[in-house]
Amino acid sequence: MDILSIIFIVAGLFFLIVAAIGVIRLPDMYSRSHAVSLTDSLGAFLMLVGIALHEGLSINMLKILVVLVLLYILNPVIAHATVRAALRSGLKPLEKENS
Amino acid sequence: MKVFLFCVLVLLAILIGAYLYRVLQGPTIFDRLLGHNGISTKAIILLIVMGIYFERVDMFIDISIGYALLNLVGSLAMAKYLEQKEHS
Amino acid sequence: MATRSRPVSSEFLFFKAMALFVFWVLLSASFEWIHLGLGLFFSFIVAWLNSGHSPFVPKFRLWLRILLYLPWLFYKIIQSSLHLSKLILHPALPIVPHMISVESKLRHHAAVVLLGNSITLTPGTITVEVDGSNLIVHAMDKNDEAAIKQMESKIAHIFKDEEPDL
Repeated sequence: MDILSIIFIVAGLFFLIVAAIGVIRLPDMYSRSHAVSLTDSLGAFLMLVGIALHEGLSINMLKILVVLVLLYILNPVIAHATVRAALRSGLKPLEKENS
Repeated sequence: MKVFLFCVLVLLAILIGAYLYRVLQGPTIFDRLLGHNGISTKAIILLIVMGIYFERVDMFIDISIGYALLNLVGSLAMAKYLEQKEHS
Repeated sequence: MATRSRPVSSEFLFFKAMALFVFWVLLSASFEWIHLGLGLFFSFIVAWLNSGHSPFVPKFRLWLRILLYLPWLFYKIIQSSLHLSKLILHPALPIVPHMISVESKLRHHAAVVLLGNSITLTPGTITVEVDGSNLIVHAMDKNDEAAIKQMESKIAHIFKDEEPDL
């Protein structure tokens, strides 16, 4: 069971690192918000599932799953609010033409 | 397992540093807001891993649930506030 | 609560209070009578205070269909996460950021909420603005529009038996 949870945690860390690289590397604010949503959806999921497997079947595992459900419901709302505020206050998205 | 969890904690702290670079450096105010959102998600994960590391999950998990809910309210309030202003 | 506009449905009040009570039990994780009684009392108080909002009670078959929709959404999330990771780690950074204006045919508030949340949850696309049933989406790659169309048809299939309210 420990091996499985280590695999999950390492996979989650991979996505978190990719998201951090993206936040530093990507050119404009709208693209960076995609990198943050990458962390929120898959990185946090894999990390928390790995931790829940390590914890075993108990009330704490149930609470970790509650945190996961909360993250999945609340994070799209936050990302949408941020991006909408940026658009409404007149921040122009970068249009890149390399096809 | 203990050593592995310690490495995970250190790595998460370094990743928070990457987001902090975006908060300090960001050209517009929305980049800073985005960096704050990323930091809070990392902090939720960091708190749970810390709970496993110190073997007090029952305490740290409640803190992280409260942090997730408060983070929603704070981020929404900041986004709503900045929406009404003219930033470029 | 002077601004309450809709009548309070007792069934809806009961469901809301039960959901809050389950959340209370999960948070407190103690089964003594004083804690359970306090939780029941406060969940009914909070449900009554908030009973003016959103009288939408999803029916059972709708819950079932949404539950069956979630694994497909999760498969799409994994797929597009791997794609976006490849784009970010690519040395030349071959991203094509552009805005898509999606005019959906959904006629339910809940369906539009589900579509917007699914789009934002999928890495690579993010909902920027919602107006009625039309959405403005910021996308990172060229073939994201087809994925959004597919997602919309799935959600329209979920809500095909309900009364339109938009």
